[in-house]
Amino acid sequence: MKRRKAAVSGIADAPLDTRSQERARLDRIPSLAPDRLQTYDASADNVGRFLRLLGERITRPLAVSLTACVHCGLCADSCHYFLARPDDPTMTPVYKADQIRRIFKRHLDWTGRVVPWWVHAGSPQNDEDLNRLKNIVFGTCSACRRCTLNCPMGVDTGLLVRFTRGLLTEVGIVPEGVFNVSRDQWETGNQMAVTEEEYLETLQWMEDELRTEFGTPEVDIPVDRPDCDVLYTINPREVKFDPRSIANAARVFFVAGEKWTLPKWGWDQTNFGLFSGDDKLGAYVARNVYEAAERLRAKRIVISECGHGYRSTRWEGYNWAGYDQKVPTESVVVTLQRYLREGRIRVDPARNPDPVTFHDSCNIARSGDLVEEPRWVLRRVVTDFREMHPNRRENLCCTGGGGLLSMAEYRPLRLEVAKIKAEQLKATGAKLVCTMCHNCIDGLTDVIKHYKLEMKVVQVLDLVSNALVIPE
Amino acid sequence: MPFIEKDGRKIEVNEEGFLARPGEWDEQAAGILAKIEEGLDEMTAEHWAVVNYIRGYYLEKGLAPMVRKICQTTGFPLKHIYELFPSGPAKGACKVAGLPKPDGCV
Repeated sequence: MKRRKAAVSGIADAPLDTRSQERARLDRIPSLAPDRLQTYDASADNVGRFLRLLGERITRPLAVSLTACVHCGLCADSCHYFLARPDDPTMTPVYKADQIRRIFKRHLDWTGRVVPWWVHAGSPQNDEDLNRLKNIVFGTCSACRRCTLNCPMGVDTGLLVRFTRGLLTEVGIVPEGVFNVSRDQWETGNQMAVTEEEYLETLQWMEDELRTEFGTPEVDIPVDRPDCDVLYTINPREVKFDPRSIANAARVFFVAGEKWTLPKWGWDQTNFGLFSGDDKLGAYVARNVYEAAERLRAKRIVISECGHGYRSTRWEGYNWAGYDQKVPTESVVVTLQRYLREGRIRVDPARNPDPVTFHDSCNIARSGDLVEEPRWVLRRVVTDFREMHPNRRENLCCTGGGGLLSMAEYRPLRLEVAKIKAEQLKATGAKLVCTMCHNCIDGLTDVIKHYKLEMKVVQVLDLVSNALVIPE
Repeated sequence: MPFIEKDGRKIEVNEEGFLARPGEWDEQAAGILAKIEEGLDEMTAEHWAVVNYIRGYYLEKGLAPMVRKICQTTGFPLKHIYELFPSGPAKGACKVAGLPKPDGCV
């Protein structure tokens, strides 16, 4: 077989940008503490710290993923980076995973001591090397875990990427966007630094609008109401930039006769700890939500349509926080399914006549096991539902996952490899692409804009709210 | 970093199309961002009302205002903000107002 010539690597040559970190140090923000937010210190032994933490944090699942790879290359075809750049071996999941694997082999595995040349064992020499590692694990992988699903050896490359990101976070070698959002989440409890006053004012505004719409003061958006059946938690962008989704949820809750509330604190279900690999941040944010449910004696935590928020709050957060799950946690789409099944709400699909396709969010389908529920709902609220291919757990990432939307430096590569996603979307012929994830909304909107597709992105709740039959 | 260009004026933007140096913003720059990045043929008085408010808020506080504040000040309903700026307040209006990209899931 003729070997194809390798193309120039797509790995970005992004230098470490520490402007925000320096400002945070000058401002002496409270979250700059040893057990919280870390900043980069050029005079510190960052490689030494990186290697020490690597040794301390290896778990059994990590060790399996680090040692089980046989370099068969099957992962390559599941990665949209490689599918879009088939001549670039640095885009394969195995290449990305090997960058941490070689360090593990050099320092912790016997093969690296006995036959280092054979297993390509090696070690980062300086902060430059760590910065290159940063550009690989943050810049060339959306941590979508499609390769994980397709690995015959069970290697979880997504896990390795997150683990490596977490080590780099500890020495402050992270993209500026990741630092900024982590800072805001540590400092204010939500990723967009929304103040309590702004939060309450926006909810009040949406409540006023709903009261005008329904002509009754009975419709409300309660905050901190105890003993409710549903504690609703949201993504900060809903309150900061587009609270229509909060009004949509409130409208459905009202018609369904739900006893629900939002918490005054602990309302942010998103979690940048998932993206930065920082379990401490993950624990802090998730715990805020769990404690809100306990404080208000809520019977159920309901998570608005957000992919990484769902995975973090529903699955990972309990482990990060070391918290016993006391009440069930579910996505609002599961709540909607229950309302429809129990006849608590009625819908008229004729109000959504445009062809709709569904984009499975990585963190919801592959990593969250929520696959058929959104389809069950969609088939009842639209008249023309069509699958994209591949779909369900095999769906391709929106290309903005893994926190990539907040890292502008990697956008050119992200949009280049998005051509795979654009082709997949276009082939459906749908006018609307529905997704349960705020990250996917922006990821897909970028793809649609860049590749000039005639599509709009909506969420399940938008379509349900639009089809909702308001009882007389 | 990439540039966008119109009528002989060249402005530097970041990879997301946000102004690279927020200090470089003026009315002409806003017009160019509106046309090239947001696809607006014309900046009407309503567009300016939104953009000027966001700009002023940013200069004072260093961050983007809540959409609540934008609607309150301009008197426009939320729906209308999306009619004026199809990409929404964060990626549309804030971009035309010359702000850096807001942090977080946007």
